Amino acid sequence: MADYAHPDVLVSTDWVNQNRGDTDNIRIVESNEDVLLYKQGHIPGAVEIDWINDLNHPVVRDYIEGQDFANLCSRHGIGNDTTVVFYGDKNNWWACYAFWIFLLNGHDVSKLKIMNGGSAKWKADGKPVTSDVPSYGEKPYTPGEKNPAIRAFIEDALEQSKAGKPLVDVRSPAEFSGERTHMPEYPQEGVLRGGHIPGAVNCPWARAVAEDGTFKSREELEAIYQGELGLKPGDDVVAYCRIGERSSHTWFVLTYLLGYDNVRNYDGSWTEYGNKVGVPIEKTYEPA
Amino acid sequence: MSDSLTDIIEAFQSVDAETRLMLLLDYAKNLPALPDRLSAARDEGLGRIEECMTPVFLFCEGENGHVRLFADVAEEAPTVKGFVSILVNAYDGADKPTIATIPDDLLQQLGLDGAIRMNRVVGLNAVLSRIKREAAAV
Repeated sequence: MADYAHPDVLVSTDWVNQNRGDTDNIRIVESNEDVLLYKQGHIPGAVEIDWINDLNHPVVRDYIEGQDFANLCSRHGIGNDTTVVFYGDKNNWWACYAFWIFLLNGHDVSKLKIMNGGSAKWKADGKPVTSDVPSYGEKPYTPGEKNPAIRAFIEDALEQSKAGKPLVDVRSPAEFSGERTHMPEYPQEGVLRGGHIPGAVNCPWARAVAEDGTFKSREELEAIYQGELGLKPGDDVVAYCRIGERSSHTWFVLTYLLGYDNVRNYDGSWTEYGNKVGVPIEKTYEPA
Repeated sequence: MSDSLTDIIEAFQSVDAETRLMLLLDYAKNLPALPDRLSAARDEGLGRIEECMTPVFLFCEGENGHVRLFADVAEEAPTVKGFVSILVNAYDGADKPTIATIPDDLLQQLGLDGAIRMNRVVGLNAVLSRIKREAAAV
């Protein structure tokens, strides 16, 4: 892990196992797609933060912020100076999403970590799991300064497209080409039109992950993002997918593992852009 | 609908959302393992329900006018496993006409439509229609 641009942002499963007892300073947070996984078994001492029930705003298509975010942290015993270590299912896809929302809400970036390899590696290592739900006393949490520089809105994506600046579409090739408007398993989050934002390049998010669920080496990642896609560390990059979760994984890879300092996640993503009135799309799929 | 499914729906509806998830998890844990001959079939890729993101394998077999249901679902997808387990629990050994009456809105009737993420609903409904289709054909 040492070769990455910001290696401190990753911790290993061994580190978590050795440090998980330090609950005064460290909170382990599991974030998953499947709502039963945490209940089935998690790292002893870990709490669960769920992308729909906890992080999505109940009414507005947005994330919780300000006092609501502070209350969420507070009730999990997370203070402003608590180190928060995220992990979860599907190669840390949802863990990276939660990480991004914590940073968006101004949690100190030096206190945000991802456990490399996620749940899959922890279990493959044979490390302990429990279904016991811990309870920590409430900790005071003062809402932090928001961090808008890591988020792109549709106007930003359009501007990016018009200016010919890098847009990385991290969906599957069939979604990118317009053959499908959704992953085959996810039709409910579909959209009216298939295709991509004009000028975007396609690089499915999971290409950044090795077989054991950990991130690929810096060299391998550079071969993909620099070699194949032609991105450079100083580039102004916007990443998107369908609802902004897969692209938060790519945002994490570019920002922390490769050291790009100007990457934004467009969380409105294709479910907003593909349905938007009056914006152009690009479609490369042609029915045979 | 079978009597046992009616009982299961009643049990799910009589508890709060959190307890309902624990009930679903209990079903996930209690899905019987595949018999060896079907494990071998699964390992050859038979019985896979393609609409489901996580591997779900389903086998329907006729036995003296009744239908036997066998299924296997990955540990990493307990919501899917729980739902499949409910169907197996309620309908393994039922006759064909009874299986044909499984309600298509079972997820809603169980009160799970809010808990199961939209992105899983289609896969679960695919499991349901596959059971009905295959059972009718055995």
